[in-house]
Order: sequence, then structure tokens, then C-alpha cells
Amino acid sequence: MLLYVHYPFCRSKCAYCGFFSQVRDEELEKAYFSALLREVEHWGRHLDRPRVSTLYIGGGTPSLLTPRDLELLAEQINRHFNLEPGLELTLEANPDSLDSPDLARALAKVGVNRVSLGLQSLDDSQLSLLKRPHTARQGLRAVNAVRSAGIENLGLDLLWGLPNQTPLDWLEQVGRAASLEPEHISCYCLTLEKGTLLQRRAERGELGLPREEQLEAMYMQGAELLGERGYLHYEIANFARPGYFCRHNLGYWRGRDYLGLGPSAVSTLQGRRWANPKDVLRYAETVRTGALGGDAAMLSRGQRLEEFLMLSLRTREGLDLDGYRDLGGEELLQDRAEVIRALRERELIGVSGRRLWLTTRGMLLCDSVTGALMPELE
Amino acid sequence: MRPEQERIRNFSIIAHIDHGKSTLADRVMELTGIIQDRDKKEQFLDRMELERERGITIKSQTVRIPYTWQGTDYILNLIDTPGHVDFNYEVSRSLAACEGAILLVDATQGIEAQTLANVYLALDHDLEIIPVLNKVDLPSAEPERISREIEEAIGLDCSRVLQVSAKTGENVEFLLPRIVEDVPPPSGDSEGPLKSLIFDSWYDPYQGVVVLFRVFDGSIRVNQTIQIVSNRKRFEVNKLGVFAPNPEHCERLGPGEVGFLFANIKDLRNARVGDTITSADNPTPEPCPGFKKVRPMVFCGLYPTEPAKFDPLKKALERLQLNDTAFTFEPEASQALGFGFRCGFLGLLHMEIIQERLEREFQAELIATAPSVIYEVYKQDGEVLRMENPSELPDPAQIAEIREPFARMEIHVPSEYVGNVLKLCEEKRGVHKDMRYLSSARVIITYDLPFAEIVYDFFDQLKSVTRGYASLDYDILGFFTSDVVKLDMLINHEQVDALSSMVHRDKAYHHGRSIAQRMRKLIPRQLFEVVLQACIGNKVIARERIPPLRKNVTAKCYGGDITRKRKLLEKQKEGKKRMKKMGNIDIPQEAFLAAMKKDEED
Repeated sequence: MLLYVHYPFCRSKCAYCGFFSQVRDEELEKAYFSALLREVEHWGRHLDRPRVSTLYIGGGTPSLLTPRDLELLAEQINRHFNLEPGLELTLEANPDSLDSPDLARALAKVGVNRVSLGLQSLDDSQLSLLKRPHTARQGLRAVNAVRSAGIENLGLDLLWGLPNQTPLDWLEQVGRAASLEPEHISCYCLTLEKGTLLQRRAERGELGLPREEQLEAMYMQGAELLGERGYLHYEIANFARPGYFCRHNLGYWRGRDYLGLGPSAVSTLQGRRWANPKDVLRYAETVRTGALGGDAAMLSRGQRLEEFLMLSLRTREGLDLDGYRDLGGEELLQDRAEVIRALRERELIGVSGRRLWLTTRGMLLCDSVTGALMPELE
Repeated sequence: MRPEQERIRNFSIIAHIDHGKSTLADRVMELTGIIQDRDKKEQFLDRMELERERGITIKSQTVRIPYTWQGTDYILNLIDTPGHVDFNYEVSRSLAACEGAILLVDATQGIEAQTLANVYLALDHDLEIIPVLNKVDLPSAEPERISREIEEAIGLDCSRVLQVSAKTGENVEFLLPRIVEDVPPPSGDSEGPLKSLIFDSWYDPYQGVVVLFRVFDGSIRVNQTIQIVSNRKRFEVNKLGVFAPNPEHCERLGPGEVGFLFANIKDLRNARVGDTITSADNPTPEPCPGFKKVRPMVFCGLYPTEPAKFDPLKKALERLQLNDTAFTFEPEASQALGFGFRCGFLGLLHMEIIQERLEREFQAELIATAPSVIYEVYKQDGEVLRMENPSELPDPAQIAEIREPFARMEIHVPSEYVGNVLKLCEEKRGVHKDMRYLSSARVIITYDLPFAEIVYDFFDQLKSVTRGYASLDYDILGFFTSDVVKLDMLINHEQVDALSSMVHRDKAYHHGRSIAQRMRKLIPRQLFEVVLQACIGNKVIARERIPPLRKNVTAKCYGGDITRKRKLLEKQKEGKKRMKKMGNIDIPQEAFLAAMKKDEED
């Protein structure tokens, strides 16, 4: 089982962030943390100390957790869950809250063996446009801090498709990030989420967002560059050195069971899915009354099938055609021969053996290709 | 108690829509006491709810009005006539049943084109015409000017013109004596063989066909065996009566009288307007001038928005046809719209009325394609096809020529819009025939125009270039040789039958381009390229391309994002369900409709 812990607080709200996160508040944080510890206990008992292969602490900005709280959390998890040897323990961190070697060492001591660092950009003007609470320099310092603490699995997050960014600008960012030699690089295209500052600015026409052809060039050329630097493009937005794929995230795409703790966290266990309340106080209340997972719903066979298709196609290994058929899906190569032929002609997909996968160009059209292959409605 | 022939007066009211015909009829009925007040039914003559809404009477209905003048009892039969050119033939038959007509003109508006056409019809039937100006109570009324206009346009003596207000009732009491005095009593031989004219008929679900008729010679009795002259079918009269205004039964009706009958007639086609009823034993040697089978001139496709509504639509069409033999329909399958019907109408108003009735009765939305006309195709081998649908066009090598219908159009318009109207008519391939001034402010413009141009969007455009001040009337002249071509639309090199249309060669390029552009705007970009082509035969005359998408991907998708992402895909899939799949691309129905409906932009 994958275990996810959500930490919902941030130092400040970024201009593009559509996630549920809140600016820190001491009272709220206390309520959150005690509820979280109780939730760990709840599920540990309820699920009878289940085996956990990966633990991912995300947010929000979980690097804002004090070393003391982090230790308490780790102990609590260890007490109530059966952590497998070789557990992958990822902590999401922002450069501004991980800029000293001491802090990094404290993380390592608790057992964090993978850090996913929200670098986003190494260009200060872009960082300030995104309202990131850190500078490029702080980013570099954080990288050094992680390294000096002996954490040898470092992932960097980068954003592309930023206002006024050209493909050349992007390639420069990718090159500089790669030269820091992280084990893992995630490249997310800037998405204008509803209700964000950036979306409002875009609506007012204030942002010179790149055109579609430029975005295509950024994606294709960025992927090519990373390939040259030895990174494998193992999922739409994720690149890693061999052996350093994020096992936790791969688990989502491969349809493994996952338990999500903390406000707004989603869980899927044995075909049942539920989400915790988004609001911290409502979350705490739900934990207190023991109503966790009360609204769990069984995924229908059709939904499971759709998710299998959609998640598999995000990865380079692609869709297991036999597995898809065994789940009740079509025999795609036969039943969808015409569209598959057309997709191959456009070089959007490849088929090898019994797997169907997206080419790099196909990944950029993943949602459309998934739609084209989805079971048709009656 | 039958009235003496010389104490009968049969008349109708000729008026433009909104000029107050129904209100005047109400007033007359109130004055004579046959309806008590207006609380029963506003505007009694407008039988159907729809007619009331549109302010137009579609089916005629008679009312028998008893009236005493100078000590003598008279019977006035008011025969209501439809006001629109689409029902020209029915108007003509209604007028044929009368000896006189009231020409009712709005004193604030003046005489309109269709009214004028109906006055000419009345004059053709030798009717005595009584000019009446209505709405004289309104401050904007100009009775003197309008009187002069009527004199100039028709040559009618307006020195005794009556000035009334149907709304307030002012002067309406002077109308009845005028009818008695001016309208001649019916002639006719009461001893001769029965000769009566069917001037209206409709299907009643309880009684079967209701026939309205006017007796010319002889008399008609209950239990009599009658014969329909055109097809020699015989029926026995079960019931005979008059509308006064409610149906009142009687035993016998003689020359000059107007009434209704039931004779167990199930099919409206056995009692067509214009046909003659005679006696089976003693048929008349001289039937009425004969009835004309009216043929639809305008066609359009009607489709249910949901496939499941096909059968209910078919039933509704069948029901409508029971009451309207001029309306035709046959099943049609369209690649784009599924199963529906190709329907034929007398004209545009007829089409609109039918569509509205259908939507009401059928209580569902309909998709109506742009109206088209019938073409005559002369083949090399001498065969002549009447082509209702472009898909019926034979191979071009077999075609000697194509003829399209032309109409003579009379447009009445204030003189300041003459330039606009001439320009519009020229654009619509019109041939200028005549232009004359009714008065210094009003002009009658006559053009011969291809009927296809008229049904396409002429009315809308005329309205807009004259700010609604024009009125018009048209008459189909016949079919004339024309350089008409079939314009096909191709989506990714595949022809879409439903989008083919007949257009004049000079306009094909513009039309094809316009369709392709409108479709392009409504077809979303997708995984694969979409190429739209407009073609005449093998020649591509317009091309539009919708380039394939380059990027459509959710940036990140982890545990918490999965449900949202799946729902997004499901929504996308729902959307596709409403689209028509053509190979690997999906075309929204709106795109087909944009191509099949009128061009709204230019």
C-alpha cells in the first residue's frame, strides 16, 4: 500500500496554485497535527497495521513541519503501520524552508530518503511573477543542503510554459537544472486553474503566454535534452535517472491501493474511494467523530476500466492490453483497429508486444488519445 | 324556415394581417345579437389558438348572421377568408362563394400588397366591393390619403367610403345596411340539379370530414346521396347545418345558402376545396370551374432532436395532414441528422405554421433545415423529373437542362426605401418588371425573382432593408431554364448528402465558402485534421481546414487528481455522444445545422 500524508499549509499562496492549501496559522496547525496523529492511529488499527511500501508527505509545504513534529509523525506512523524495508520516504520541500544543512540533516535523521524540491524556476523574474516565496539562489542553497545531509534521491520540480517564456528560455532552465545532477526532474506545464491570480491576469490579457506551437517545441525539445543528459522519460511530466523513478507516484499510475491522510487527501483501497474534508476544522471534526471514510464509494467496473486506461497511458510503459481486456475492456487492437491505425500514422502511439504506449508527441495529447480509446457509450 | 333567395347576402372581408378583420367580425356579431359580449371568446372567428396568437386566420369559417333592415329579415353569411398568399387558392374559392366583399384597410397604414392581390381576386369573381377604413379613432389615421390611395391602386370609387373603428364600435352600425344594399342577392335556380361549391373542409376527429359549401343551384337535404364531381365518389348526407355562430342543424339548404355537412367522409382528399358537390341522381351539367390540386412549392427537412422521437413525430405529421392536404411529407434519412421527414408546403408561411403546430402538438423540439424549392430536370431522353431533393439529381451527363420556379413579386414600400429594395432584388437575380407610384409616398415595385431566392432569406432581408415597412405578394409564374448546379459538401473527402444544395452557378462559390466557414467555426479542433470542401461535381470551389490539436494533456495526475480527471474524460465522452462520428473525427450537430440553415451573417 502507498501512504500519503497531506500537509495543507504554506508560507504564502503562489499565483498559480489551485490546490487546497492555507497560509499558516498556529491554532489551525495544532488542530491539524493532533487530528493527523489520530488519523494515523485510526487507520493503523482499522486496517490492522498494513504494509506500506512508500510514504509520501506532500502539500502544501510539508518542509514547514518542525523537525520535532516530523519525528512525532514518523514515530506514529511506524507504530501503527508496517513499514517495509527499503521504504521510499519522500518529503515535498520548498527552497525557502529547506535552506540550511541542519534542517536537511534533521529530515535524513527521521528517515526521509527522497526530497522533492519545488524549484519551479531558476529565473528570479519568473519566480516573482509566480509569487514563489524564494529566489533562485535559495533554490541552489536547498539543493546543496539536501546533498550535504546525504540524501541521495533528489527530485526537482520545474514549471514550463510560463509567461513570455520561449523554447530557448525553457531549454536553458532544463539544462541548468540537469547540471545540478538531481536523480529526478518533474516538468509541469503551467495550468491556469480557476480562481487563481494568474488565471485572472491571463483573462485580462496581461500575460504573454506561449502559443501552442511554442509549447509543443518546449515539451519536445525539453524531453530530448533530458534524454541526452541521461534522464528517462517515464511519465508525461517525469524524468529520472535509471533506478530513481518515484515508486510512490508509479504506484498511482499502476493502480495500487493508496491511503491518504490529512485534509483533502484521497484514498483508494480495494475499489473503494473516499476523500477527507478539505477544510482543516471539518477534517479534525471528522477524525474526532471517527467518521473517516464514511462517504467511501465503490468504483464501478467501468470507472476502474477508464482509470486503468487513463493512468497507464500516462506512463512510458503504457497500457497492458491483456490486463485491459481481462478487466473487461475491449481487445483494442481489433476493436479499435481504425483509430489505432490513424494514431500510429500520426506517430502518437506505438504498439510493441502486448503494450500500447504514447510517443513523446502522443504524451502531449494524452487526454485526447485517452478519449479516443475510451469505451464508447451506448 | 328558409329565407327567400333575395334576402341572402354572402360576403367576405378582405384585410391585411392586423388591420382588424376579426375585431370587425366580432363587432358585427355583437350588433346583431348573435354573440352576447366578448366574454365568451375573444375574436370568435379565429378558431384555433394558434391563429389567435399569430393574429391570422388560416382556415375559413362562415357565420350566418340574421339581420333586420327596414322591416325585412335578411341573412348575412360572412365567409372568412385566409389572408395570406400561400393560401391563395383557398382565398379564391372563398371569394367564389360570395357576391360581395368588404375591403378593410387600416387608416393608419394603407393598403398592403397581399390585400391588393386579394382585391384583384375578388374583382375577377365580379364581387361588389365595399371599401371600409378601420382604426379611424387613432390619431395617426389618415382616412383621406388612404382613400385616395385605394382609388388610385384599384380604381375603386371611395366617395362613400365608411370610416369605422372596430375597436370602439364607432360607425360599425352603418356597415350592415351597406351590405344589404350594395351586395347583390345570389342568383341560382332552386329547381335545377344540385350544384354547390366546397370552399373549406377540415378533419374533425369525432365527426370525420366537415365540409363547408355554398349552394348555387338546386338544394341539398339530409339523407340525400351526394356525389363529389372530381372523383364521382358518393356519400350520404347525415347532418346539415349552419354556423350561427354555433352549429345549428337543419333539413335543407337552397340556392345562395351557406352551410356545413357531414357525410361520413373519412379522407379529406374526398372533399377538397374547389370541388363541386352535386346530386348523385341528378348531377349538374355545369360544375364549378373545377378544383386545382395544390402542390407544395417549398420543402424542408424536419427532424426530431432525439432519434427516439421519430415515431411520435410521424404520428403528429399524420394528424396534421388529415387537416391539410396541401402539406406533404415522406421519410428521409440524413447522415447528419438521422431519421426524419422531407416536408412540402405551399409557401413559407404555410411552412412556419405547420412547424409551430407540430412543436405544439408534438411538444418537442424540431430541427428544420433551410427551405428549398422544387426543380424541373429535363433529361436528354426527354424525361422530366420534379426534383424535391438535391440527392435525386441525375448524372450531369443525362441532364439536358434544369428549370427553376420563378415568382412575380409585388412589393409595396415607402418611397424612401425604393433604392434598397431595387438593390436587394437585383442581388437576388431578379428581373425588373414595373414600378409605379401609388401616391407620392408609396411605390409598388414588380420583379420576377427565382423562387429559391425568395424562400431562402428574401423576406428577412426585405424586412431589414425597409425597416419592416414593405409588404409583398407573389405569384408563381412557372419554371424557367436556369444555370443551377448542385453544391456538395465534403468532410474529409466524404460527401455528406444532407448538406448538398441546389444553387445558381454565379452564387455557388460564395455560398460554398460561406457554408465551409460557418462549419469551420463550429467544429472543434481534435486529434485529426478536418478538411471541409465545397464542390461542384469534382471541382473544389472552397476549402477550409481545421488543424489537429498539438497539445491536450493534464499536467499532473496523482492520487488526489484521479477522480477529477476521470470525470473530465467522461464529460468529454458525453459531449462526443452528441456528435456525429465520421471516421476518426466527431462533428457536432450544430455544425451540420449551420450548413443546413440560413446564412445569418451575410
